[in-house]
Amino acid sequence: MDIATHQRALLKLFRSDCDQSACADDYICRVAQSRDLQEAKRNILLWRIYVLERTAPLTVNLLKQRGQLAAEVASFIARCNISPFRETQAPAFLEGLSESSNTLTRSVAQFELALLRVREGDCGRYVVCWDVEPHSVLHSLATNAVLPGAIPVGAYQVVVSRDCPDRLQIFSV
Amino acid sequence: MSTRIKDAKARRCALGVTYEGRDARLLERMLPLVDYIEVTPETIAELVGDQLRLSPDIMAELKSLGHAVQIVVHGVSLSIGSHDGWSDSYLRLLDEFLEQIDVAWHSEHLGYTKVDGQHLGIMLALPRTDEVLDILSERVHAIQTRYRLPFLLENIVHVVPDAGGTYSDAGFLNALTKRTGCGLILDAYNLECDAHNHQFDIQKFLGELDAASVHELHVACGVEHNGLLLDVHSKLTRPSTVELAQRVITQACGAARAVVFEFMPEAVDGLGHDAIECELRQLNTALGR
Repeated sequence: MDIATHQRALLKLFRSDCDQSACADDYICRVAQSRDLQEAKRNILLWRIYVLERTAPLTVNLLKQRGQLAAEVASFIARCNISPFRETQAPAFLEGLSESSNTLTRSVAQFELALLRVREGDCGRYVVCWDVEPHSVLHSLATNAVLPGAIPVGAYQVVVSRDCPDRLQIFSV
Repeated sequence: MSTRIKDAKARRCALGVTYEGRDARLLERMLPLVDYIEVTPETIAELVGDQLRLSPDIMAELKSLGHAVQIVVHGVSLSIGSHDGWSDSYLRLLDEFLEQIDVAWHSEHLGYTKVDGQHLGIMLALPRTDEVLDILSERVHAIQTRYRLPFLLENIVHVVPDAGGTYSDAGFLNALTKRTGCGLILDAYNLECDAHNHQFDIQKFLGELDAASVHELHVACGVEHNGLLLDVHSKLTRPSTVELAQRVITQACGAARAVVFEFMPEAVDGLGHDAIECELRQLNTALGR
């Protein structure tokens, strides 16, 4: 097997669940059946979580509290060509979750992505819509506290900009 | 003290440590104990718009070290073994780094992290074939021409079963160093991981390796999970790892310039500054510094 074929076969094993009966090569079959492969995949997942805990803490905290972190990161790995550069991982992760069907996940991810950009010097003004009161949610996530049991419902906007005091302002609309 | 340790002391080898910036208190404690600071450009890179640039703050911090220590660069994303070419993003960062800071040498890993532009999320070892040897040799020559600095390649952990090839492990490294003149980093902990996880025969490997090509050694420690020893650099070194490094230093007959203690910045809080300082002191003693 030439090196291109060898590497493509291993990429396929890492990117998806391999149909072991379809393995045409003894070595690739051996890898597909190995505990090493499963352990390596687990390590990739844990390493992504490790980086995201530091670079996207609010969204990671929310997903953790909802028991969705591992599934969302696994989906991120499966769907995205994730750069090895740590600093690019949070923006890519948050961009994906910014289109989540869950409104709270979507709002938190959009907010954290806007905050990342503004902290990096972005001059833009970002407006994030919320359908619950944002302050108590963000405070809980930022302090590693449990989210309030009943979050007050309402229409809010959070503006993120370097022109805002503390880079953000919350408005009830 | 064993004869082996006495031999290593007689050789004397410098000590280095990883540092990724923004921890002045830790750096202050490590600096008096080391000769080299190992920097990984990818971990000090920041996103500026959609461009990756080296953090100006960390680069200023490194420049301020002056002649207190020497800097060595150790990349993780060159992907020198990818069939479809290496990572230009890494080389752009390395260019930026070397324009600003003088380094003693630079190094990368003997493996690949991407295939057809798709990132694996992990680093894989290469089959030891003539085809791979040809690819690597051409790329090592290109790097040597581009930077005019000593360039080293590191043995990596096998995270999946070994693909084998026409060369033995040591035979492949010997052929690569002979053909290109590049040096080696021998990671003692990686050898131990391979021995634990894949019954890799360290004695046989060292018996065959041309140790005069070993310019640098790495020592580190990770954790065991599901019976596999993981290369995660989260712990202090085990005595067996240091003894293995000492053996290679002796075998290298003066070629080995430095031993670098590697740990992840994420592990600093768990290890603590006191333990890291103590580790460096113990390594200095073991290395006869």
